[in-house]
Amino acid sequence: MPLDAMDDVPDEALLTLFANGEGAAARALTLRMTPRVMAHAYRLLGDRDEAEDVAQEAMMRLWRIAPDWRQGEARVTTWLYRVVANLCTDRLRRRRGVDIDSVPEPQDDAPGADQALLQKARADALQAALGQLPDRQRQAVVLRHIEGLSNPEIAAIMEIGVEAVESLTARGKRALTDLLSGRRAELGFDDGWD
Amino acid sequence: MAGTDRNDTRLETLFEAARGAAPKPSADLLARVLADAEAVQAAAAPVPRKSAPRLRWRQFVDAIGGWPAMAGLVSAGVAGLWLGISPPAALDDLGIAGAGTDEAVLVGMLPGVELALLALEEG
Repeated sequence: MPLDAMDDVPDEALLTLFANGEGAAARALTLRMTPRVMAHAYRLLGDRDEAEDVAQEAMMRLWRIAPDWRQGEARVTTWLYRVVANLCTDRLRRRRGVDIDSVPEPQDDAPGADQALLQKARADALQAALGQLPDRQRQAVVLRHIEGLSNPEIAAIMEIGVEAVESLTARGKRALTDLLSGRRAELGFDDGWD
Repeated sequence: MAGTDRNDTRLETLFEAARGAAPKPSADLLARVLADAEAVQAAAAPVPRKSAPRLRWRQFVDAIGGWPAMAGLVSAGVAGLWLGISPPAALDDLGIAGAGTDEAVLVGMLPGVELALLALEEG
């Protein structure tokens, strides 16, 4: 089956095709899922190399579980987000004790640079602040506000209730606001944070 | 309240920047992931059977009606062989033409077989 013919095939059906030995399904799932998995791992870890390692490991687990996948029980993305979070948590635990100041700071001259640099400065500042949140708050905030998932989806991924998700994201956003309150100039917010 | 809304708006600006700044997987990572996928598929692929003759034998048994029919066929064969080696005395009384002489006697048990053999000989 040609690769572009797979564009409209749902993730779960692709996984079944993969388990049946369909090579095009392997390529389609690789191209569809790896960028999402990689981006999510980066947002939880703040390190590109580690995010690549986590992405490869998460995808390997997907390939291995494919023959046992039960249609209708879970979404592939939900399962993958959960696997990525668990892998990242393991790495973060091993990393504890690393100086938090080693997280790269945005460039001081970012407000004077062009829009692309400003956007990068904002993304880096947010990533640095996310890195200082407790793991579960960071995961909930990233899933809700960057990945754009709904609260019930996040509840399924984190295996908690919807109310707990709302609580985690609210606390996470307040913490981010506090962490970023002193950086108005760098981030292009001339009127500051409240 | 207005301050909270303004903070939310600014945070959303940062979230938007983060969405646009997601690192893309390298070509090397994609190649490694695909290689893993193909290795898992290859390991899961069924190994071709080496016992092809056995498969044909099984098909033959199935074709004649399974093992019960096979048992009947073997019994009939053994009985025929036994009659040929040691014919019962009662058969001597049948007065078959040529019996007891050196002449060969051909008894047609399957009509048409002679014609088929003749056709084979003539090509």
